[in-house]
Parts: sequence; structure tokens; C-alpha cells
Amino acid sequence: MEGKRERRSSQIELLRKIKEFTRGLVDDLRNGRSPVILIYRFRSYCTDFNSKCYCGSDLPCGKEVLTLCSESHVRRLDVMLRVLLIIRQLLQENKHSSKRDIYYMHPSVFLDQSAVDRALNDICVLMECSRHNLNVVSAGKGLVMGWIRFFEGERIFDCISSPNKAYPVPVHVEEVRDIISVAHFILVVEKESVFQRLANDQFCNASRCIVLTGRGYPDVPTRRFLRLLVDQLHIPAFCLVDCDPYGFDILTTYRFGSMQMAYDTKYLRVPELRWLGAFPSDAEKFYVPKHCLLSLTAEDKRRIEAMRLRCYLKSEVPEWRLELELMLQKGVKFEIEAFSARTLSFLSETYLPSKIQDELKVMHLIAESDRGKKSTLFVLEGRIPWEHCRLV
Amino acid sequence: MEFSSVNTLCFHLISSAFQRCRLSEQICRLSVILNSSSSSRHPSVQISISDTGIGSCLKEFQDLKFSWGGITENWDGMLRVNTTSISDTEVYNYQISLKENRSSRRINRLPSHQKNGAKFSGTEVLLSFVESLDILLAGVHSFLQKMLILRIPNIAIQLVAEDCDVPGSRYEKVFLANKSMQSPILALNLEHLKSGFEQYILTHGNSLNSECSSCFPSWEHLKVGSGRACCTENELVMEAVIVISDISKDDNTCLRESGDKTEVLYFKDFSPSTIPQSSMKAMKSVHWRKYGLNLVGIAQQDGCALLEWENLPKDTHIYIVLHSYHQQYPTVIRTPGKKFQMDRNLVKRSIKLSLDDLKEKHAGALLSARATKICSYAPDLGKTIAGLILTSNDLEFQGECLSLLGLQSQGVEAEIVENRIKERIVSVIEMNDKKDQKTREAAPFLFDDNRLREEEFQEIDEEEDYDMMALED
Repeated sequence: MEGKRERRSSQIELLRKIKEFTRGLVDDLRNGRSPVILIYRFRSYCTDFNSKCYCGSDLPCGKEVLTLCSESHVRRLDVMLRVLLIIRQLLQENKHSSKRDIYYMHPSVFLDQSAVDRALNDICVLMECSRHNLNVVSAGKGLVMGWIRFFEGERIFDCISSPNKAYPVPVHVEEVRDIISVAHFILVVEKESVFQRLANDQFCNASRCIVLTGRGYPDVPTRRFLRLLVDQLHIPAFCLVDCDPYGFDILTTYRFGSMQMAYDTKYLRVPELRWLGAFPSDAEKFYVPKHCLLSLTAEDKRRIEAMRLRCYLKSEVPEWRLELELMLQKGVKFEIEAFSARTLSFLSETYLPSKIQDELKVMHLIAESDRGKKSTLFVLEGRIPWEHCRLV
Repeated sequence: MEFSSVNTLCFHLISSAFQRCRLSEQICRLSVILNSSSSSRHPSVQISISDTGIGSCLKEFQDLKFSWGGITENWDGMLRVNTTSISDTEVYNYQISLKENRSSRRINRLPSHQKNGAKFSGTEVLLSFVESLDILLAGVHSFLQKMLILRIPNIAIQLVAEDCDVPGSRYEKVFLANKSMQSPILALNLEHLKSGFEQYILTHGNSLNSECSSCFPSWEHLKVGSGRACCTENELVMEAVIVISDISKDDNTCLRESGDKTEVLYFKDFSPSTIPQSSMKAMKSVHWRKYGLNLVGIAQQDGCALLEWENLPKDTHIYIVLHSYHQQYPTVIRTPGKKFQMDRNLVKRSIKLSLDDLKEKHAGALLSARATKICSYAPDLGKTIAGLILTSNDLEFQGECLSLLGLQSQGVEAEIVENRIKERIVSVIEMNDKKDQKTREAAPFLFDDNRLREEEFQEIDEEEDYDMMALED
């Protein structure tokens, strides 16, 4: 875990790089040259099935060259330098700011939040650092509950004392320390409504777990925190998303990272994350009422078609791709809430235990196969004795 | 060469006299004398156009063509020509009737006069026709005033007009091209044209005796560019001069007739002339946008082209003059079809060279629309980079950067640093803009071959005509 001393040293290094960068600009201008700024491009996936790709290697896939020769470049440079100036100030004064705060410093120049986001990404690539190193943090969108206790700096997050109470995900993940957990698995849910359903159903009492939500597309702290928990606790992590293109995309964001922050994917992705549901086949298996099944729109179909071409689906999770194709084939989608149509507690009492049991079985078999020896499953029929489910 | 009015024929004869003077490369006088008698029943004007230039070869009169539709009563078609070359021992006198067809036209030789060993050369052409003296005088005056733009330094032009029946009616004016001359006699015609055109602008069309001080308090600030394109095959030359002035219009009492539009003056063989269609087309197809200019309209008015611009800065005015001439005298006329294309290519090329020349000489002038947009970011970039330097808590770094910018590290104001960086950025953008243009143009002129050049012209034309489709619509 990165402590204060490490953070300070990273700040000093960043300040040095910013100075070096500025000196380079001035030197070019002094010599009557246009500054040439090379920004490496990264991608978390490609759609070229025919050639062997290196998307998972974390290596750059190309570079962009910014000069004073094109208006779009100069505008991008203008925004980037303004953001860099703000960041330099944050680092020098050891303060933090959000992306939105930065946007509101020059809204008429930035025009759009996306310009600031892009500038931050450019700066991270140029300075070879992560966004949190720039002292830019988001307000914190994620929520966590369950069998865990930790500190963020001096602040304690004592979730374990009331496991069904929602806590915000820590923003300064690098300052998280002293994690104590007796959880057997981590459950990531796409939406806050599902998170609240599980809290109401006292799901963490029945299942010794940690539940996390990024409330839609997860922000950086949520993804970093999940990554930290998986790295530190060595327990299984499952993901529950709506059975629609957006849910699937959110799932892949957790597991493989987003395209926008592909340069930092190695610190944000969670390759251990397993897709728990909802699968297209779950609609029949768990008797989702027909009125809860919505037809895929043309846009949904277009998104699915585009997603199924992603290289990582083919190389790493071909079974996900099959589910995606099944979704397209069935032509319907449904939300997690559809499981509550019959009884409110169906999700926490029936669906999740069943799915987790299945997943654990699969994981166990894989582990056994890896060990090359047979093993007896602890998981029994009916209600699951969670205390026996931890597989280490 | 065909003429439809006696006035235009007179202008041509003055122009020929001017050419003979020019080619003599000696100090030369050109006199235009208009005499009338208001008391006579049919008030006619007798015109004498005389010069001390090289003698005339009669071919130029042989080739003249006059269309007689409806004006036969004004003039009898007779020209009287007296001419001698420096090597001749006598002055030859001729009479030519332009009423006769060119093919059957006879030149009547009249008795000559002995020069008695005197060494001189010159020509006098006389004709007489029915016209108001005032109207003819005004036309010739305006014509000669425009000729001053050419500023051929060895020629003095005298204009005399008199009504013999009105005592004291004699009018006399001398047009001297070499007033406050800056270019030597043997300088290129283009240099003379540049200097003459500047003078023309500064004196509001040569109508003032000196530069207009209210419009041009500092006339050195005129931005001038010139270009010369030629076709070696027929020695046809096209010269262009482009001038950009920045005049504050708010407190300017001298209003131009053409307003913000650009009046393009056209000279053909050293004579003010109506701009031909080929040149109009050529100007349409110039890639003005490369120079930050947006041409939105082109029209012909009183023999000149009027170019209408969009988004021209409020105080900026553009002036253009074109001069097309043959190096040979008298001129060799090529087949019209090919000539049209060649004229067009030469106009485009000469304008382009003038724009490049102006851009090269004047920093910040004629930046392409793209470069202008890029430059608009320079103040912001300057401010931000200055911020990155000045708000750093590393004084050594600050000092180093300021020193790179050629500034003192002690107590320098932020604004000075911002401006210095901004200037450097603008300078880089301007340089890139020039470099871009040169890079794009380098390929067509790898070989200095006339034929190749013309082919390239053709290609560029086709390409750029596409850009102008909207304008034509």
C-alpha cells in the first residue's frame, strides 16, 4: 500500500517531470521549432479477430503527435497545459481536486467536461502516472457494505459492525490500510437499487461477503478499491449486472478496464472477476415473468454486435461471448429487479445463493484440475453454509 | 488589333508611342496635343501623338483594324504617320486609311524630309475626328494618369489641349514618372510598377500631388508583394503587384469609391486596358484561402475587376495591379485558344508569387485561415506556459526558462513573459504556414522546363476551380 512517504516521493517525481516538459516547450520555442508532443495511445481491446493482438500486454498501440501545425492539436494542447498548470498547483500545495472542479476553473475554454477528462488522460500518459497521482480524485460514487473494516488515512470504515449499512467507497484508495475482513467473497452489483435490495434483505448477514457497487459505470476509486480488495483478501469476486448491453459493458469495464483509461488498465482491471449473472438463460431458468422481458432495440443490437467483436472476449472469456450471442439470438433483455417480480427476497434468498453455489463449484473444479488431484466439495445442496465456502 | 471607337484607337496609339519611348532606353518625350476649333461648323479635334522613341515599323499600322458600325461620320479613317529611326537620313511620311480592309490596305508614302545629318528618332501620328475636346481631354488625362503607375522612368509625357478660337484656353500638363524616383532607369519593369502603384495608392489614384497624409501617415507601412511569371515560348510576361494597407476608416475622410472591395487595375502592353475574361477566371481560381482571404464575389466595372472579400479586417484594404506585356515589339499574337489558357495561368502564377512575396516580407501578413485560427490560441498558450514557469516554486527552473526566453530572471513581469512566449509561438506558426505552402508547391517546379510548368498550371487550375464552384454559383 502506498503510504504518505511514497505519495510525497511520487509528487516530487511528477513535479520534476512537469518542469522537464515545460523546459522542453520553452527550448523548442526559443529555437523557432514547433514543440512536438508524443502521446502514446493505449487500448483495452481491439476488434481485429484475424491478427494476433497485444491488447492485454499493456503496451502502447501507437502514438499521437501534437504540434502547432493543426488547430485541433493546438486546442488540445491549450486545454492540456491549462489542466497541467492546475495540477502543478495541486501537487505543490498538496491539495486534491475533482475533475469537475478543474472543469469549472475555465468552463468557457474547456467547453465540455470531456475535454478535461481527455487532458487528464493525456497528462497521465505523458507523465507515466495514474490519475490519482495527479491529486485528481472523483467525489466518490461507489458504495460498500459487508464484513470488512479498514482505514483511509485516519478515517475508519467500520462496515463490519453493521454489515448491511452502506458506506462510501474511499476516494484516496492509496491511503487505505489495515484491512480486516472475514468475508468469503466479494459481490459487485451494477446498480444502487440492487445494492439497497440486498441491504434491506440483510444479505450480508446471511452471506459473509462484501457487497460493492459503482452505481452504473464504475468510477476510478471503485475500480481501484475492488482491485485492492481482490489483491489483499484473495477471495472470489463476482459481478451481478442487468442482462442487457449496458450491464455487460459495465461488467467488462470492471474486468478488463475502459478504453478511455486504457493506459492505466493494469492498475484498474480485475481479471479475477467472475460474471455471476444475469445471463440470458436465467430468464427461463428462474422463471422471469414474460412482461419483464423487453425486446432489444436496434441500438441494443448494434452495441451487442460491436461488443462481441472485442478481442478479450474471444481470447479470455469465450463463454461470455456465447452468452452475448444468446442475448442477441433471443432478442430480449431484462433487469436484475425482474427477479423480484414474484417475491422481493427472491434475489437474495434464491437467485444469488444458487448462482454463487454454481460458481463456487466451477471454481473448485478448476482449482482441483489445476492441482491435478480430486477434492470433495464443501458445498451442499439447499442452503449454503457460507463459512465453509472459502476456497484457498 | 480591332477597335470600336476612335477614342480607344487614340489610347492605343498613345500606348504604342509609349512603347517606342520605353524601348529607346533613352530620355524620351511623348506629347499628346489636342487642338480644336469651336467656331467651325463641324467641331473636330486634331490629335497629334508624337514621341522621341525608336522609329515606328509600319507593321503596327498595317495590322490595325477598326469596326466601322455606326461611327463613319465621326472620322474619315485617315492616319498620317511621320517617322524616322536613328539610323535614317530622312523622316518618312505616310498616309494610311483604316477604312480599307487590312488585306488590301495600302500605305501611301508621301514626300519625305531630309534630316540634314541630324541624329534623332521619333514618330508623330496625326488624326482628326469629330469629338468634344473636353470629353477627349478628360479621357486622355485619365489614361495618362493611369500610365504613371507603370512609372517607366525615362519618359516624360506632355498633354496639351487648346481651342484655337478661345484665347487662353490652352491646357498643359506634364506627367513625369520619375518624380521622387526610387528605382533606377534600367531596373526591371516590375520594380517600376511596384513603385508607381504605391504612389498611385498613396495619392488616391494619382489625383493628389503628394501622399495623402490623413490616410497614410506612415506610408512605409504599406505591405507590398510582387510577382512575375513569364512564358519563354512567346516572351509573354505577367507582372502583379499586391498592396495591403491598414487604414483606420473611422477618422478617414477619403472614402474610396470601391469601398472595401479590391479594384484590380489591368495593363496590357504598357497601357491601361480592360481586364480580359481569362484574367477574371484566373483570379477566381486563385487559392486565396491559403492566404487567409475569402473571395466571395468578382465583377467587372469600368474595365477593372472588383473583388469582394468576406471577413476582411475592418481597416484592411487590398490593392492589385496586373500588367501583361510581350517582351517583343511589336507584339506577336498567338492563337486565341491557347493564349486564353496561357494568360490565365500566368495571372494565377503572378498573383500567387506576389502573395508569397508579401507574406515572406511581412511577418503576420496573409496567414492562411488555418494559421490565423491557430494563432488565436497563442495568447492563451503564452499565458499558461508563463504560468508554468512563474508559479513554480523552483527558482532555478524559473531562471533557466527565463534565460532561454532571453529575459532577466529578476523581477520580470508576468505580462512580459507571456508576450515573449506568445511572440515565439506566433513566429513558429507563421514559419510553419510558409513552410507548408512551400512543401506543397515544391514538387511542380522540380524541373525548370516551360512545357512542364504549363502542364502543372493546368493541373492546379483544375484542382482549384473545384474550390471556386460555390463562388460561381
